[in-house]
Amino acid sequence: METKKKLLEIRNLKQYFNIGKPNEVRAVDGISFDIYEGETLGLVGESGCGKSTTGRTIIRLYDATDGEVLYDGVNVHGKKSKEELKSFNHKMQMIFQDPYASLNPRMKVSDVIAEGMDIHGLAKTKEERMNKVYELLETVGLNKEHANRYPHEFSGGQRQRIGIARALAVDPDFIIADEPISALDVSIQAQVVNLMKKLQKEKGLTYLFIAHDLSMVKYISDRIGVMYFGKLVELAPAEELYNNPKHPYTQSLLSAIPLPDPISERSRKRKTYDPKMHNYQADETVELREVSPGHFVLCSEKEFAQYKK
Amino acid sequence: MAQFDEKISKDQFEPAIIDASTSERISKPSLNYWQDAWLRVRKNKGAIVSLVVIGFLIIMALIGPSLSKFDSNKQNTKHANLPPRIEALENISWLPFDGTRTLKNGNVVNPYEQKQIEEYYWFGTDALGRDQFSRVWKGTQISLYIAFLAAFIDMVIGVTFGAVSGYFGGRVDNIMQRIIEVLSGIPNLVIVILMIIVLKPGIISITVALTITGWVSMARVIRAQVLKLKNQEFVLASRTLGASHAKIIFKHLLPNLAGVIIINTMFSIPNAIFFEAFLSFIGLGLQDPLASLGTLIDEGFRAMIAFPYQMLVPAIVISVVMIAFNMIADGLRDALDPKMRD
Repeated sequence: METKKKLLEIRNLKQYFNIGKPNEVRAVDGISFDIYEGETLGLVGESGCGKSTTGRTIIRLYDATDGEVLYDGVNVHGKKSKEELKSFNHKMQMIFQDPYASLNPRMKVSDVIAEGMDIHGLAKTKEERMNKVYELLETVGLNKEHANRYPHEFSGGQRQRIGIARALAVDPDFIIADEPISALDVSIQAQVVNLMKKLQKEKGLTYLFIAHDLSMVKYISDRIGVMYFGKLVELAPAEELYNNPKHPYTQSLLSAIPLPDPISERSRKRKTYDPKMHNYQADETVELREVSPGHFVLCSEKEFAQYKK
Repeated sequence: MAQFDEKISKDQFEPAIIDASTSERISKPSLNYWQDAWLRVRKNKGAIVSLVVIGFLIIMALIGPSLSKFDSNKQNTKHANLPPRIEALENISWLPFDGTRTLKNGNVVNPYEQKQIEEYYWFGTDALGRDQFSRVWKGTQISLYIAFLAAFIDMVIGVTFGAVSGYFGGRVDNIMQRIIEVLSGIPNLVIVILMIIVLKPGIISITVALTITGWVSMARVIRAQVLKLKNQEFVLASRTLGASHAKIIFKHLLPNLAGVIIINTMFSIPNAIFFEAFLSFIGLGLQDPLASLGTLIDEGFRAMIAFPYQMLVPAIVISVVMIAFNMIADGLRDALDPKMRD
């Protein structure tokens, strides 16, 4: 792990909404993690725990309340000149959750895909632009003829692949995939995830993969972060997290995965998680601590000693 | 079972061609939004008929006044209050174009013969002997001018105001919405009366009054739509690609608003026409000798019992204009409303 280059460092990122009002929401409440070059970091957690907000804040769709996001050592938040923003938009891209909402229904597929190229001036001539579009369509397993059609003529899986092609059009290094498979049915999920894996291998992409389907996250991720109410509670390599979950919330989450086996499924016990069970005292500092190499758990000093055993 | 197996030899089978490139093909012809909408409008007979009617009325409004030999403002008191008479049609007894009128006591008289008038006044004349035919089409001109003015105001001021207010949100939105509330809080009639104090009653004061208030409902609808659209994922995707505000507004928001804009414009047109006719009818609108459908109806209304045609013709024309615009709007709404799609 130490030899790998850190591509993205997230330091104490906070994203609050309606600050100072009675309905203040702390969607992301001080999370820190690193993403190494070429890896896939899975981010899981229950609905509304701030996974998507984290992704959107990283890519500047929201202005962070506090904290910083370092991409290659450069802070991407704060005031930026147009050039800086452009080069940043060039490197970091996003794949969205709902394939039915993420494509403009009034634009042809070729224009949807070429939008990024037009903004960044990546294609000099019309011919070059169309050739690139065809190339991208073929990369994601679609046909040339699809370029002149409108999004409503495609199925969910095809639309999601168009969304991927749009993200790839600017040749990014880092892609935030915001629940790219939740809106698709299972057979199509595999199609999209395998496509993403293939692209990662070919283009050396780095992914932040946000999802709530645990088995799919395990399949695609190298490391997994578990979020609970705006906080990162556990971060570990995928295998380690599945085999040796430390935090009670992670254990609860893992106990919820159904198994395709009636015998073990019958004996599966669902663990519940109640944040009160920690019994944190006012003087205890609760932070991410490295329990074993690469395995971080949100815990107090007392729990830390316990987890380390 | 064995019997069946024998009957079909293997060489009759051929493996199906599995080709990934053809499995993703879409056979349906590609239609864009407007082609699709046109198919839907075409199915709506009422809308198509209305479209033809509006086309006819526009042509008549433009060429009508010059079709007649008589100037719309030329008075000829000798020829006052003549009933309609049209060449050729005057001989068909059941049509009301034979130049006769029925008196109160039931007698049928022909003022043309009584006064020995050779000319044919197609829609008759009014109390001052002006040709009703050219006056009706002059009036239609005014109504259509109001219609296009209302459409223009809606599209320019309403859409811009609503889009800016919705897109930028926050304090800008807050202030702009308060402005709208103040404007819509003042009754239209009050604004017109104020305008008449400052300007003279006439087409200019109506234009100004419409410009001040006509776009409010459009701005509200557009603002709501923009609020909905600007958080859609395709707009977010465009932002992550680094698109500027102008690009997002013109490439993503406006094309998706086109349906709503057209529908709203079409519905605000009959309202504006009615507003002008109403003002003219109560005497706050156009002044003599200018004609609008409202003033014509007002004048005809005074002599309704004696000379019903003086009111009837402009009343029919304005009704047809209103119904036609409403039916076109209805057809367009069915064709363009995004809620009916997908």
